Formats: sequence, structure tokens, C-alpha cells
Amino acid sequence: MKVLVFHIGPDRYGLPLRQVRRVLPLLELKGIPLAPDSVAGLMNLHGAPTPVIDLSRISGGAPSRQHFDTRIVVADYTAPDGKVHALGLMAERVQGVHDVSTQELAPSGVQAAPFLGQVAGDAKGMVQLVEVNDLLPAELRARLFPAEVEAG
Amino acid sequence: MNNLSIKNKLYIGFGSIVAIILLLLILAYNNFSRLTDANNWDKHTMEVLIELDRVNNASLQIQVDTRGYILTGNETFIASERENAEQLKQHIAKAVQLTADNAQQNERLKRAQALLATWADVNIRRQIEKRRALGDTKGAADTLGQSSELKEAAAIVSTARELMEQAGEEERRLLAERSAKSVELHSSQNNLMIGGGIAVVVLSVLIAYALARAILGPLSNLTAALSRLGGGDESARIEVTSGDELGKVSEDFNKMAVQLQAATRRELDLTNDLRRKVDALLVTVSGAANGDLTGKITVTGEDAIGQLGEGLQRMFDNLRQLLNNVQKAGIQVTTSATEIAASAKQQEATGVEQAQTSVEVLSTTKEISSNTSQLLKTMEDATAVADFTTNATSEAQGNLRRMDQTMQNMVNATDSINAKLAALSEKASNINSVLTTITKVADQTNILSLNAAIEAEKAGEAGRGFSVVATEIRRLADQTSVSTWDIEQMLKEMQSAVSASVMGMDKFSEEIRRSVGEVRQVTDQLSGVMDQVQKLAPQFDAVLQGMQAQAVGAQQISETMMQLNDATQQTVESLKATSEAVHQLQYAAGDLQSSVSTFAVNA
Repeated sequence: MKVLVFHIGPDRYGLPLRQVRRVLPLLELKGIPLAPDSVAGLMNLHGAPTPVIDLSRISGGAPSRQHFDTRIVVADYTAPDGKVHALGLMAERVQGVHDVSTQELAPSGVQAAPFLGQVAGDAKGMVQLVEVNDLLPAELRARLFPAEVEAG
Repeated sequence: MNNLSIKNKLYIGFGSIVAIILLLLILAYNNFSRLTDANNWDKHTMEVLIELDRVNNASLQIQVDTRGYILTGNETFIASERENAEQLKQHIAKAVQLTADNAQQNERLKRAQALLATWADVNIRRQIEKRRALGDTKGAADTLGQSSELKEAAAIVSTARELMEQAGEEERRLLAERSAKSVELHSSQNNLMIGGGIAVVVLSVLIAYALARAILGPLSNLTAALSRLGGGDESARIEVTSGDELGKVSEDFNKMAVQLQAATRRELDLTNDLRRKVDALLVTVSGAANGDLTGKITVTGEDAIGQLGEGLQRMFDNLRQLLNNVQKAGIQVTTSATEIAASAKQQEATGVEQAQTSVEVLSTTKEISSNTSQLLKTMEDATAVADFTTNATSEAQGNLRRMDQTMQNMVNATDSINAKLAALSEKASNINSVLTTITKVADQTNILSLNAAIEAEKAGEAGRGFSVVATEIRRLADQTSVSTWDIEQMLKEMQSAVSASVMGMDKFSEEIRRSVGEVRQVTDQLSGVMDQVQKLAPQFDAVLQGMQAQAVGAQQISETMMQLNDATQQTVESLKATSEAVHQLQYAAGDLQSSVSTFAVNA
């Protein structure tokens, strides 16, 4: 299976490629007042306003630094009610696509955050899979995607 | 004790020894006489006992004789009967007489005497009569033996014997008592002799020692002091410790020693006084002999030494007066001579100085004329040098002008280099903006390749080839990014080098401008120098003429001075002769003064 590799702090994480729509350079985001810290802002995706989550921030770390390889990854977020939303993810040091064989994947054994999944090792160290659908807590999800708003 | 005379000491000492011996003798004699008494008493008791034994013997003899006659009737047995009875009475009487001092014994013996007298005169007579009456009748002996007379006689005689036995016992008891007493006396006598003897010896030794101390101690002190005095120690004294003859002798000795010491001291004082006076005289006289007449003679008096001292004092006074006068005259002569010599010398020195001065003036004049000619030559040289300097200076001016031109050219070149460097810096900035664009393009390409890879993946099997292309594009984009970064670094280094060069060029052109200013200043000064040098030449000519006139004047001065010198020389000669004569006078006065000055006349 192919994953998009990025970093949170010094550690490597992988987003499954089937959930990734596209990768964008770091855009100017519109700030959302009174939003939680983990929400970096709102971006315009072909005319549709799309919320952007800071992956470093939602993992409990410092805000992502604005390097030249800090990107916004547009991913498909499937809500529990079956609707699919576009969700921007701000990630540091997006290195590229890696192939991870399914045999190598193993459970991490430590359940720290709900969105952290299996781990696989390679020559550069370990890569942990990030589950996009579990990324938002129920309260945040309710605020970002209210039920009456139709997804684009 | 100490104040007793030796005679009394001796009397007391020996007297006490004799008294002790006498006491001992009296005690011994007393004991001896008591011993003799005891012996007499022993003898007396023995005599009483002997008498009692004899009485017994006699009575027994009478009994035996009587018994024999009674048994045999033989008259021979009783032949000495009367004689024995007489002896018996005699002995008992003697015993009674011996015990006259002892009333009890005497009483006993008197009773025994009475009994025995009765027994011998009555009872024995009756038995003999009765036997004689019986004659030769048979059983006469038995009859008589059974008779009462015999028994009566036996009772009487046994009573008498018992009495005598008692007396004897008493006497023996007395004897034992007395001999015990005598033994006791004997032992006390022994003790007395031994103890007394030892006491006498010890006391005698003590007394002898005390005597010896009392007499010999002061005597040895006296002897020692005498020998010290004899050896010349007049301070020898004896400590008077006793009041006897020796003490008196010691006191007298002490008095004698004191007088002796006083006499010696007086004699010594006299001698010292005499010596002191003679010494004082000698000091003054020997000082005078050495020329010191200032000494005063302090010895005066009526005696010979005093008169001698006064005479000497008068003599010294006269001599001092005389010498004082001589010294004063000498000093006056010397002073006058010295003054004359000094004035002569001064004149001479003045003459010599004059001569020297004229010589010096002469030589100075000569020097002036020679210097003047030398100066002339030097002035000519100086004129030539001034001409040369003028030429050299104008040449240097031309050179400096050329140098100024070159400097100006260099300044211009530096300015153009600066302009070119500025252009270079601007170009580098342009390159920098191009590089930014390239970096942006590379970034875009990177994102594009990522998205392409995602799309290819989504396309599945159909997008496989496309995926490879996307990866390659991403690699190229990365390489571009790295190269761009390198170029950026190089450009930064180049820019810093260019700005350093610009700064260096600025400093350099500044220095060149300063040099140009300095060169201009030097040129101006050189022009000033040249003007001055050109003005010098006519002044040199005027100096030359003045100098020639000076040389002629100096020659005239020199000739005049020669004449003056000769005159001065003659004056000096005559002054020298005068000086010599005064010197001789001075020597003579000095001799006189020195011979007088050996005598010191003032205190």
C-alpha cells in the first residue's frame, strides 16, 4: 500500500494514498476567530471553503513551521453519517510517496491517540499510519461540519 | 665557761675526773665491807654448828661409854667419863656464848645446856652407881636395862638433842640466807665495777675533749694569725671568742696589728707624697727640655722639694720672657720679607702676563689673516654651489609636475574601477532574483510531481507508467533545488568579495589624492628655495671685498705687537733679580723663626 510520508516533530507518519485528494503548497489561510488551536484556518479550494487542521498541533505539539516543504494535503474525510468532506491537513516535511507492504504492518500496541494506527519499519526508521476518519473528535467535527451544511 | 682562766679549766676538768673515781671507790669499798660482814656471819654460823656437833659427839661418847660399862661392868669404859662430861659442858657453854646475839637460839641452847648438865651429872652418875652396886651379879645388865633410870636418861638426852637439832636447823637456814645475800652482793659489786669503769672512761674522754677544744682552738687561731702577720698580711686579726689568757693575748695581738698597719700606711703616704712632687717636677722639667716652657710648677712649701720647685718656676718665667721677645722679632722680620717677596712676585707675574698677552694678540692676528684668506676661498665655493643649486631646483620642479600628472591619471582609473564594481554588484542582485524564481519553479514542480503520483496511484494499473515519470520529475525538482541553493551561496560570496574590493579601492584612491596634494606642496617650496638661492650671489661678492680689507689691517696689528713684546721681556728680567734677593732674606728669617719656635712659651 502506498502512503504519503510527512513528519510530526522528528517522527515519520504516513497518510494512506487512497484518502489523499491532492497536495497544495502553503497558501494564505483565512483565520477563524474563537476556533480551537488545532484549526489552522480556512482555505479556498476551487471556490469551496475548506477547513485546515494543523497535524502538529492536533498531536499536542507546537504549530507547524513554515518551511518550503511544509504542505497542505487535501484529504477525504468520511463522517460517521457516511458523508465525505474535503479536509485540509497542514503537514511538515512532506517527503513523498512510499510503498509499505501490508505484511510489514503491525499494531503499535500503544493506544495514545484514536487516529494513530499500525506501524511499519524500513531503513530510515518506523512509519505510523494516520487514520483520517478518526482525526476529528466529535465536538470539533460538529463545529467544522454542521449537519445542515451540504458537503461540496 | 669561756671566761674561765686556763688554770681553772684544768682544775675543773681533772677535779671532776678525780671526783668520779672517788665516788666509784667509795661505792666499791662499801660493797666490800658488806661482803666481809657476810663472810664473818658465815664463819660465826659455822662455829656454832661445829660446837653443836661437838656437843653431840661428847654426849654420844658419854652414852656409848656408859652403855659399855653397863653391859660389861668394866671400869675402863668410864675412866674418862668425867673428862667427857666436862668437854660437853664446855662446848655447850661455848655454843650458848656464840649465840648470844640470837635470843631464840640462845634460849634453846640454854635449855639444852640445862638438860645436858642434869643428864651428865645426875642421870649418868645414877646409872653408873647402880651398875657399880650390882657388881658382877648375873643379869645385871638386863636389870639395869629394864630400869627407869635408863629410860629417863634417854628421854632427857633425846630432848636435848632435839633442841640442838632445831638450833642447828635454824643456823643452817640463816647460813643459806646469808650466802644468797652474799652472792647478790657479789654480782652487784661486779656490775658496779664494770658500769662505773665505763662511765669513768667516757666522762674522762669527754672532759679531755672539751678541755682540748677550749685551749687548743684559740691557740691555733693565734698561731695562724701570727704566721699571716709574719708573711706580711697586716690585716690579719683574731676573733676573740673567750675571756681567758688566750683571749687576752688575741686582743693584744689585734691591737698590735692595728698599730702596725697604721704605721705602715703613714710611712707609705709620706713616700707617695714625695714621689708625686718629684714626678710633677720631672714632668715640667722634661717638658722644658723638649721645648715646652708653658708648664707651671705647682710644688711649693718650706721643705727642700718646695724650694727647689719655686727656684725652677722663677727660672722658667725668665726663660719664657726672653724667648717670647725673640719670637716676636723673628715674626716681624718674616712678615716684612714675605710682603716684599709677594709684591715682587706680583710685579713679575704682571710682566709675564703682559708678554703672554702680546704673544697671544700676535698669534690671534696671524690666525685672523689666515682665516680671512680661507674664508675667501670658501665664499668662492659657496657661489659655485649656489649656481648649481639653482639649476637642480628648476629640474626637480619639472619632474614634480610630471609626477602630479601621473597621480591624476591614477585617480581617474580608480574611479572607473569603482564604477565597474558597482555594476557587478547590481548584476549579482539580478542573478539573485532569477534564482528565487528558479527555486519557486522547483517547488511547484515538486508539488506537481506529488499530485501526479497521487493521481497515478488512483488511476491504478493504467497510471503505473505515469507514476514512474512523476517520481523522475520529483527527483529533477529536488536536484534543481540543491543546485539553486549552491548558486545562491556562491553569489553571496561573490557579492561580499566585490564590496570588499570597492572599500579597498576607495581607500587607495583617497591615498593617491593625498599624495598628489603633498607633491604640489613640495613643488611650491622648491620654487621658493630657488628664488632665495638666486638672490644670494650678489651678497657673496660684497662679503669678499670686506674680507680683503680685513687681511691688510691684521698685518699692521701684528707688527706693532712684536715691538711691545720686546719691551715687556726686559722688565720681567729685572723683576726676577729683585725677587731672588728677597727670597734669600725670607729664608734667613724663616730659619730664625723655626729655631725659636721649638720653644713653646704660651699656655
